Amino acid sequence: MSGRLAKDAARFVETRIDDEAVVMNLDSGDFFSLQGTARAVWELLDGTRDRDGVVADLAERYGAPREAIAADVDAFLAELGESGLLVSD
Amino acid sequence: MALMARETRVREGAVAHDIDGVEVPAGAHCLAGDAFVMRGVDDLAFAYRPGEGITIEGLPDADPRHVQLWLHGTIYAAVAALNGLFPLHASAVAHEGRVYAFTGPTGAGKSTLVAALAKAGFAQFCDDTLLLELAADGPPTCLPGHKRLKLWPEGAALAGVRTGELVADDYAKHYVDPPAGVIAEPLPLAELIFLETGDGCAFVPISGGERIERLQDDHYTAQLWLAARRAARADRFAELAALASRITMRRFARPFDPARFAEGVAAAADHILGAERR
Repeated sequence: MSGRLAKDAARFVETRIDDEAVVMNLDSGDFFSLQGTARAVWELLDGTRDRDGVVADLAERYGAPREAIAADVDAFLAELGESGLLVSD
Repeated sequence: MALMARETRVREGAVAHDIDGVEVPAGAHCLAGDAFVMRGVDDLAFAYRPGEGITIEGLPDADPRHVQLWLHGTIYAAVAALNGLFPLHASAVAHEGRVYAFTGPTGAGKSTLVAALAKAGFAQFCDDTLLLELAADGPPTCLPGHKRLKLWPEGAALAGVRTGELVADDYAKHYVDPPAGVIAEPLPLAELIFLETGDGCAFVPISGGERIERLQDDHYTAQLWLAARRAARADRFAELAALASRITMRRFARPFDPARFAEGVAAAADHILGAERR
């Protein structure tokens, strides 16, 4: 995933409950709950940033080194990729 | 309430062996579109379609107590689901105009706890099936129970309530008249409480996505509802989320030990009585 990253809007629905984003994969019917960093990454996947842009944004937001953020971001992006919810231009 | 009274009218007649071409075997039930068929393991069969009421086949030879059990259980939940209500597997009491519902799988102790709370002075609201109606805003409305409280003899002894007649010859639960009466008015839901086992007694709030997941997992009724509504996954998710976001949920851990049953009852009563202060 080297291009700008976005979610495939046709393949999921989401809602907010308490401080969590709850996402249902429409293909599988499974749903998962996102909090903290994962939720922040999810919200940043709007087609305007690539992977490095997501990392940079989060590093600034949380005041943390990019390397520390990158591992979490990569793991989450890999999961999203496997579930088919991630698209890249 | 008027809706359920109208839709659960019963008439005798033939029940199809299939639904949309899919055969419904003995002991199974099937929902397709807005139609429901259930065939018992005996010669009893039920069919329902909104606006047409319930059709029963095999009535003359059937044990009327069996017929009532079906009508008040699976059939009732199916009728509710086909009419846009949310049936939950829960027993409940009411306090100060709000409903406290206890849910959990069969054998979790829902009815026994509610019977004990009834003995402690709380009015019973429903047993085994709780029907929710999504209100315009705020918590969902609970529709009053249609079933009489039923308990195994051991449960009645634990709860300290007197048993009435046997439910059926081959089903050794007894009917129980709740000592503090039964509520017959729709009331808002205060809390949905999940019964669990623990070393001590504790109420723990359930938050976030777990609230949706818990509703999704509601045993037999969720499946029924899903099939009944035939909603696309997106619609189903949106409806569950809308309902979940308006329900206060807690898990209630207590020892699952007859010798410590009273501890759980006291904790539940304290929790309900303290709800106003929270």
